[in-house]
Amino acid sequence: MKDKQFWSVAGIIFALFMIYWFAGHPYFVAERSVMFWAILIVGGILIYSTRMAKRGEKIFLRSIPGLKAVEEAVGRSTEMGKPVLYVPGIVDMDQVETVAGVVVLGHVAKMTARYETSLNVPVARAIVMKAARESCRESYLIEGRPDLFHDDMVHYLTDDQFAYAAGVNGIMIREEPAACLYMGKFYAESLLLAETGNSIGAIQIAGTASPSQIPFFVTACDYTLIGEEFFAASAYLSQEPELMGGVKGQDYLKILVIAVTILATLFNFFHDLNWISWDVLGYLTVQ
Amino acid sequence: MKRQLPIAIAATIGFITLFGWFVEEPTIKSFVDDDATQWFDILASFAMFLGALNLLKMQAMKVIRKQRGWPYAALAIAGFTFSFTAGFIMLGAYSVEITEFSNSASIAPILAGEINQDVLGTQNILSVIPPGDTYTIRAPYFTEGGAESVVEQINAAGGTAEIRAAEWGAHIATRGSLFNWMFRFIFTPLSATMFALLAFFVASASFRAFKIRNFEATLLLISGIIIMLGRVPIGGNISAWFIFYIVVLALAAGVNTWFKNRTYTLIAVVGGLLVVTIAGFITGWPIDQPGIFYLPVLQDWIYNNPNVAGARAIMIGIGLGIFASSIRYILGIEKSYIGE
Repeated sequence: MKDKQFWSVAGIIFALFMIYWFAGHPYFVAERSVMFWAILIVGGILIYSTRMAKRGEKIFLRSIPGLKAVEEAVGRSTEMGKPVLYVPGIVDMDQVETVAGVVVLGHVAKMTARYETSLNVPVARAIVMKAARESCRESYLIEGRPDLFHDDMVHYLTDDQFAYAAGVNGIMIREEPAACLYMGKFYAESLLLAETGNSIGAIQIAGTASPSQIPFFVTACDYTLIGEEFFAASAYLSQEPELMGGVKGQDYLKILVIAVTILATLFNFFHDLNWISWDVLGYLTVQ
Repeated sequence: MKRQLPIAIAATIGFITLFGWFVEEPTIKSFVDDDATQWFDILASFAMFLGALNLLKMQAMKVIRKQRGWPYAALAIAGFTFSFTAGFIMLGAYSVEITEFSNSASIAPILAGEINQDVLGTQNILSVIPPGDTYTIRAPYFTEGGAESVVEQINAAGGTAEIRAAEWGAHIATRGSLFNWMFRFIFTPLSATMFALLAFFVASASFRAFKIRNFEATLLLISGIIIMLGRVPIGGNISAWFIFYIVVLALAAGVNTWFKNRTYTLIAVVGGLLVVTIAGFITGWPIDQPGIFYLPVLQDWIYNNPNVAGARAIMIGIGLGIFASSIRYILGIEKSYIGE
């Protein structure tokens, strides 16, 4: 959709919504209106940034060592003639981290196809297996090496957390991959995997949005993509303007969040001093 | 069409789920809260077959081709077959119910062997059961034949016993059934073993993390020690003055590194120690004063301030990342997850 058309449609939808709003907004949960407007604003900024990037605006993405190292890791595996092990977390496709993990897998699969390196993706959920397999198949096709793709490069182990960790550790010990990539949602098995990978001397790159597992990965892996870096991985690896625009949008949002935090702190301070009666925390708290 | 349809489905369901949270309408609410998640569960259940088949195929190929580590693959197939059999084919939960045991003297020796009791104890158990009540041997039998032989023995001894089979479905949760036995005595210990390994891995990982390589690692080491000591009882018994002395010596080491002058270092060490000692004598050496050097207080501050600040910064980043990614998926900007 062209810019003009897009903004016209968006304007009409917004106008219709405003009519609904001023008509008393029936069925709408009024206590959640702050969250609703926040979503609209955040969504609007992201869409705006994406469209600006699509129009050709130059976007600078700071260098992320962990993502730069992905290609190095695949290259190292190629030189050593050993496989690349990719673990897309242990939860299902209903978690955005798993989806992000599968997205990054697509980029890694392109590299392994390019370098003709073996790729091994053990998964803990059958739906993830299907999604990851499709992603890899497409990547090999795009790179013009469908002959190198085989279904079993993405294979199911088990749904159980520790059985899965034991299975992956077994693969690591037997096959000794030169590179281990952990991208997705992890729980207590994170350190079991990363320490085993460390013991076999593999180059390890982790990416997760699980705050409690970040310290383990930082300790045991060579590179760790912390939180938002992980979600920016796809944009960084693909260098697609649309995705990079989204990352820039996130940066605008961070500035907005900082501004809101400072203002809310000030207003709350004034409220505590009884200078103003408006309780900003009560307003911002989502019911 | 093959590409557009999944994106359209993802976008529609995504929009309904996202904005359904703001709408007070029972149908939408029930779809978002219950139906959608149930659909996912149903899909995931069917997908399990794909996963199981893939697992069997992979392991079977390893065994057939005698690939490296094929005995593990054979063990995996055996484990799968055993679990499948215990869950779907073999009931494995037959109990024996004794309805008539007036001749307890002759029944007790048979029963004693089954419940691991002595004969006298078993007779006592039978004697306190009111007339008309039944006695069920607690640990069920894995096979019907096993239960039958006990029934025959009891019947031959003058009692009356019957076989009771657990209901299909409930048998996996019946304590002592074959599946339950496997779960409790094979699966659970193996899982616990894997989890226990974590303790050793934490130790080895901590050792590497705490190695003094640079400023950040040193900071981590010091904070780690303070947190660890401050959270155990011994930390509360370490006087704040002892820590104060250590801080003075550390500062003197800093002076030495910075100025590389012996006189300055001597002044820093002696002056610092004197100040702390005099202050200690004046205040009477209270163990928890000055509070800033008392480990439980110090660890509490580190835990609740710098730590929380860092964690919240990461959480805000993660939140924005998740939101931005979700919007990208819902709007179809990011299509890699469907293989594009």
